[in-house]
Amino acid sequence: MKLRPILGYTAAAMTLLAALLTPFLLMGLFSNGFVALGFHVDDMYTGGPKERTIPMGAYSIDIHRPVYPHMLQTEKPFVQLDWTPVSALPQHVSDAVDIDGDGQPDVRVSFDVPKDPKAPLRVDVDSLNPRYQAMQHAGKEKYSRLIVRVDKAILVRIPLANP
Amino acid sequence: MATDARILPLARPAPRGILRSLLLTLPILLWSLLMFGNPNSHADRLSHISGAITALFMTVLFFMMMRTHSTYRWRRIFFVSLGILFPIGFIHNLFVMRGSMGIPIEEMIAGRTPFCFMPIPLLILPAAFTRTLIFPGSIAGNSHGIAAMVALWLALTLVMGKGWCSYACLFGGIEEGVAAIPRRAKIRKLNPRLRYLPWAVLLAMVLLSLAIYEPAYCMWLCPFKAVTEYVAARNTIGLVQNVIFVLLFAGLVIVLPFLTKKRTQCSWFCPFGAFQSIFNKISIFEIKIDQARCKPCLLCQNACPNLSLSKESVARGETLLSCMKCGACVDICPRQAVVWHIKGTGIQAKSEPAWRRFPYIICAVSVLIGCVYIFIARGLFEASNPARALRFLLAACGVAVIFGGILIVRGLINAPNPERARLMFLYGAWAMAIMFGGSIIAQGIATILHFIV
Repeated sequence: MKLRPILGYTAAAMTLLAALLTPFLLMGLFSNGFVALGFHVDDMYTGGPKERTIPMGAYSIDIHRPVYPHMLQTEKPFVQLDWTPVSALPQHVSDAVDIDGDGQPDVRVSFDVPKDPKAPLRVDVDSLNPRYQAMQHAGKEKYSRLIVRVDKAILVRIPLANP
Repeated sequence: MATDARILPLARPAPRGILRSLLLTLPILLWSLLMFGNPNSHADRLSHISGAITALFMTVLFFMMMRTHSTYRWRRIFFVSLGILFPIGFIHNLFVMRGSMGIPIEEMIAGRTPFCFMPIPLLILPAAFTRTLIFPGSIAGNSHGIAAMVALWLALTLVMGKGWCSYACLFGGIEEGVAAIPRRAKIRKLNPRLRYLPWAVLLAMVLLSLAIYEPAYCMWLCPFKAVTEYVAARNTIGLVQNVIFVLLFAGLVIVLPFLTKKRTQCSWFCPFGAFQSIFNKISIFEIKIDQARCKPCLLCQNACPNLSLSKESVARGETLLSCMKCGACVDICPRQAVVWHIKGTGIQAKSEPAWRRFPYIICAVSVLIGCVYIFIARGLFEASNPARALRFLLAACGVAVIFGGILIVRGLINAPNPERARLMFLYGAWAMAIMFGGSIIAQGIATILHFIV
């Protein structure tokens, strides 16, 4: 009896066994193993980790860490602010926000909150700090410059001025 | 060599008996019932009906594979059905959830973009350098998450290698169906150098994805965005992207397959297919050409839908790295020179009397394993004491593995046989096809039933 055929057929049998075990065992193992590797989705999509929260009475504003593009990524650096929950927001929001936490407001963000959740949103941002760019009537043109409603929050991304 | 009694006859084999074919199909029937026959699930009635139809469909196809000794044409029925039914179910779901095939930016930011397998090779370098996944989805949490799809891809690749492209790909069935329509190819002379194009596309897309930190192929070149979901055209760039998707789909998936009778998108363009070819190196199953039997008529080369055979490779007795294990070359060979093969074993066929014992051995093992799964995995695992149920399951699996392993190794080692290689590959590949493709076919059938009923 030669070794190579033994190894060949054993490997084939193991492959068959792997197929049988896939839905019950391997899928879970591989999936958990992949999660355990500690990857994260690119901040350009997620908006980056949340750094702090500013309470505004009935609602609050979450400030995210600024996101900087990689290599040849076409987006500009930006910072994301979340107004949450949408249900507690007034019909018109106009807030001065201290983004960097130095006690001075950096931008004034104004937008209307339509009752229809599918209605398009538009935002005006006045820059009170040259680090943050102003936006007029911005919609959702780019990842780095937008206002969108996601679940229970309204997200505004403000582009940072070039350093 | 041809007069040796140990060698299968040169003529095509007669159909296998119905009883033997049924016995060989029994493991697949059990597997189908396990995958689709759970009466305790909370799915609605239409889902149960579509599951039953799918289980019957997959079992009948496998039965025909066993009875006719032919793989390609029955697999093609499954694969084309998958290619047609996947967009039906998927697009219907998109319209129910968001009212459009376009992915709005909110969905991407929320991480709700379903992860497809195509970007897997594009994610590797950014993930390796910065632990960042350049895809607007979620890692865990649902069946459309990145982790679930990567796990599925890994498991299927272990079992099939590049067989993924013939038994699991959600898109290849469309062009395979189109390629099956004309009786003869209008364009017959194809430049053999074109088969290197997918490697060039793969290299370009991997590097570009690393540079721009986006899955470049999905954003710009995937033809199948035309029949699944695409970036909502919110500006001129989005509009250009969508025009490219439609043009590539029309050219590579409809027009060229019709003219050439080949899977041109897979052969000339698909970077995932090129990436998957690498895993043929670790796959234990392959296609070989018995040079003692082969009169190089090159029927196999003409039949290959993926340009995976050349004169040189036939002369070497092997396929090219891109072989998808669809079985077209094996089925067309009039001298049974093209055979399924397990690496490390011989390629010559063994005598018929000894072969007859093999199906019963496989059946014994399959019935045992099937019973273990049906009565223990489904019954005990859902019991109130899951830890004890798991111990039962592991013990039963251990017994099945030892018993089945001894029988299989004893039955297989003494006499190499291409049909055994085919059967072992098909059991694994078809089980995977039922689990993955079958569930998608069931979803498509449920969608159609939903509209009819």
